[in-house]
Amino acid sequence: MARLGWLKGRRPDEQDFQDEIRSHLEIAADEHVAAGADRDSARLSSLRDFGNVTLTTEAARSVWIPRWMDRLGELLCDVRHASRVLARNPGFSLTVFAVLTLGIGLNATVFTLLKSLAFSPLAGVDGSASLAVVLNETTAGRQTGLSYPDYQYVRDHDRAFDGLFGSRNFNVNLGSGNRTAPIMGELVTGNYFHQLGVRAQLGRTVLPSDDVAPGQHPVVVLSDTLWKGQFGSDPDIVGTVVRVNTHPLTVVGVAAPGFHGTIVGYDVEVFVPIMMTPQLLRSGGIDPQTVLFDRQASFVIVMGRLRPGTARADASAQMTVLSSQRRRDTGLDTAAQALAVVPIWRSPFGAQTYMLPAVMVLSAMGALLLLIVCANVTALVLARGISRRGEIALRLALGAGRGRVVQLLLVENVVLAVPAALVAIALVPLAIPALLSGISDVAPIRLYLNLSVDRLVIAFSVLAACGSALVFGLLPALRSSGVDLLSVMKDDLSPRGAARGRFRMGLVVSQVAVSLLLLIGAGLVTRSLDAARQTNPGFDAADVISSRIDVSSNGYDQARGRAFFAQLLDRLRADPATASATLARNPPLTMVDQGARRVTIDGYTPRRDEDVTFLSNIVAPDYFRTLKIRLVAGREFENRDDAAAMPVAIVNETLARRYWGGAEAIGKRVRVASDEWRTVIGVARDVKYSRVTEAPRPYVYLPFLQTYQPAMMIHARGSAGVAPLIERLRTHVQALDPDLPAFETRLLSDQARATLTILEMAADGLFVFGAAGLALAAMGIYGLVSYTVKQSTHEIGIRMALGARSAEVVWHFLRRGLRLGGIGIIVGTVSALVLTRLLGSVLYGVSAIDPVSFAGAVAVVVGGVVVATVIPAWRAARTPLSKVLRP
Amino acid sequence: MTLHSSRPAARTELLHGTLDMLILRTLQWGPQHGYAVGQTIRAQSADVLQVEAGSLYPALQRLARRGWVTSKWGQTDANQRAKFYRITPEGKRQLLREESRWTELVAAIARIMSPATGPKD
Repeated sequence: MARLGWLKGRRPDEQDFQDEIRSHLEIAADEHVAAGADRDSARLSSLRDFGNVTLTTEAARSVWIPRWMDRLGELLCDVRHASRVLARNPGFSLTVFAVLTLGIGLNATVFTLLKSLAFSPLAGVDGSASLAVVLNETTAGRQTGLSYPDYQYVRDHDRAFDGLFGSRNFNVNLGSGNRTAPIMGELVTGNYFHQLGVRAQLGRTVLPSDDVAPGQHPVVVLSDTLWKGQFGSDPDIVGTVVRVNTHPLTVVGVAAPGFHGTIVGYDVEVFVPIMMTPQLLRSGGIDPQTVLFDRQASFVIVMGRLRPGTARADASAQMTVLSSQRRRDTGLDTAAQALAVVPIWRSPFGAQTYMLPAVMVLSAMGALLLLIVCANVTALVLARGISRRGEIALRLALGAGRGRVVQLLLVENVVLAVPAALVAIALVPLAIPALLSGISDVAPIRLYLNLSVDRLVIAFSVLAACGSALVFGLLPALRSSGVDLLSVMKDDLSPRGAARGRFRMGLVVSQVAVSLLLLIGAGLVTRSLDAARQTNPGFDAADVISSRIDVSSNGYDQARGRAFFAQLLDRLRADPATASATLARNPPLTMVDQGARRVTIDGYTPRRDEDVTFLSNIVAPDYFRTLKIRLVAGREFENRDDAAAMPVAIVNETLARRYWGGAEAIGKRVRVASDEWRTVIGVARDVKYSRVTEAPRPYVYLPFLQTYQPAMMIHARGSAGVAPLIERLRTHVQALDPDLPAFETRLLSDQARATLTILEMAADGLFVFGAAGLALAAMGIYGLVSYTVKQSTHEIGIRMALGARSAEVVWHFLRRGLRLGGIGIIVGTVSALVLTRLLGSVLYGVSAIDPVSFAGAVAVVVGGVVVATVIPAWRAARTPLSKVLRP
Repeated sequence: MTLHSSRPAARTELLHGTLDMLILRTLQWGPQHGYAVGQTIRAQSADVLQVEAGSLYPALQRLARRGWVTSKWGQTDANQRAKFYRITPEGKRQLLREESRWTELVAAIARIMSPATGPKD
């Protein structure tokens, strides 16, 4: 305050300065009088001597007031002026506002999605984009987590990271019996919360003291959502015991609100010390007894923040060194894999793996749409600039600098753009669910993404809006302010009018070209979707239901579990509604690879650095019959293939062909992990195991009767439709154990559809973009043709008076519209030929220059151009002659 | 500030900062109001230097802001109200600095303009 007072004390106020000037003039006049002049002429000559009073005041003011403050004042003044001007032209203002809101809204929506995958992937964690993942990468490019001993080794030897923490997501049945809720949990190391910077809002988080002895830390931290939802914000929750996968765990705290774990796409609701892995994690191929000591059990996802000043390349290099050091230290042969560091947005352990390519394509398309929006608004602003030439000329004539006029015109655009951005931001929460609805409908577990409209989204939208305002405003502003005063005063419109016409044509051409590009993209993705839908996944999902049952959630041991599953299958098979029924560890088309195991193949010696880890499944008899997967040789598992019989396995065609070279595979032997040798009794047709778009890969089936798992999927094929089956299954499970819950009960065809939803989302999004782009381009053409028609009213009148028919007049304008459209289409097609290659990551079964997509898009654009041209031309042709010729 | 030579076309901008020096110099003989400062400079330069109000008043504001002059309203001899400027001790020091800089500059220019008076002669 004192400082401000000092400033004020030293700054002469305006009045004081005016007084000083007045006194100057009076003294000067007195002298003139003294020299013999009369009073009036003395006053005049003193004024004349003084010069420009206003300029002097301004110059004196500028000594005291910083330039930027003055500029700010001007800017505020411009904003007020612009608001008034825009309010006086509601038609123009609303159109520009609507077009901008559309463009920015769509972009902000896609950006929010992109943010949730890349720029701020973890809700409740500051700067989560800077996290990096340390993982094992095999020579085949397969990425896996680290084993717990490897995690410890890397954590203790690494110097690139500011502390590494580990975690692993796992399926949680919270509670017991039929009240069980299926949620997602994370097993975490003791430093997890500390390194992430996430605190507890109640009690404590998981601490390093929870990271000591395997199985000895039965504690759990709840997420804010779980605490508020399931436990009604119980303030005394700390100290109570909850059942997680039937295991009693003591609640020690509630994590800070907004934190949802570190696996993008999952809503993690319980956090348990990783020392409890043997008790809680049930995953194919993991032995609970050894999971924390086995270097082959790569189940830990390791993350950390790089030390300041350490580049990711440095960290990677250090990890390479650590890899070979680890090999020496541990004496293990891990030549087939090496440690690698990837940023979190490239982590293979979350939704970003399968969503990011599609979302990146959408973002690029969004940017193109914004280009159309800018071109469209440029044309509108330009058209308005013509009608304002008089006003601008007046400003220039009165001495406004050109820069000042440009500023004024730009401010008008920003005044429109910023509210458009704000409305767009408000629309994002409505648009996101629409975009993701397809995914949410079929996702087995609720999809959770950090989709909050936060500072990043707001900053993006406002920047995009102001950036667009500069793009669409600058050119018209420069043109309008560059008016030749003389020509305006003489009302001579011709030469400049023509130049402006060419510029407007350029804008229309570019809009047509870009909207064609968008439509071609949409067409290509839709065709990919069709191709993916028509791809034979290798099994028949029609009339099959699936449901997950975890008998361990009711505390069954292996004997009881086996008995339960046997009885359930017997009951289902006896049911007339069922054609066949079976069990499987994993359903097909799971999106993420499940059950990856190292496989040893009889008679094949892998190269030292060869990756021989394949996906596998554990299935009951009748699996291949139920899913209609054809066996090309041998037989499928039967009830006789039980624990007492010879260990057997079934492999897929790709494995048989690749490793036994087409020779008879039956009778050969394989070994999965450290399991016993199994004799191959059948070769099955290849199936799409994770994604419809995957390439054929080796696969191994193990018999359930020889490899027990407590959590299995039931697959049952209906004999007459699938509808009654879901209820029948529930009845049978209830009859056997009324307390045993069945989860994820649904049609297998829905499961199959789930893998297509990302492609569906991309296709839908691109269609919205394409449609919006085409609509805008059509608006642009319509505007241009209407303008030309208006300018040629006289000419039309004369033509018609001389006997031209309306059809000829329409054709005259249509030809012009089509010529512009044609140029746009050529430009668009040529750029598409180059640019669609970038879509490679989301295309499937269709070439990037697919002629059908190109032709379809061209047809749609031509249609749009014709409609947008014919309407104004037709209206012109219908104008009564009398009106035209007598303006 | 403009320099009036015999030919009106040959007006030359004075070197930047020189106006400040001239004003400070004028005020050294006692407080004066703005009009008088301008008149003094004009008279002392035998009508060669005419300081326009548009340059004079911003210069006075500049000097005041830097603390080289202070201002106070008062009465002229003819009983006119006017704002009087007084040089401060810091202003006097500044004047000395400006003067020596000026002297050096003039000498340097002189050496360039009349090399005949150099040691070669």
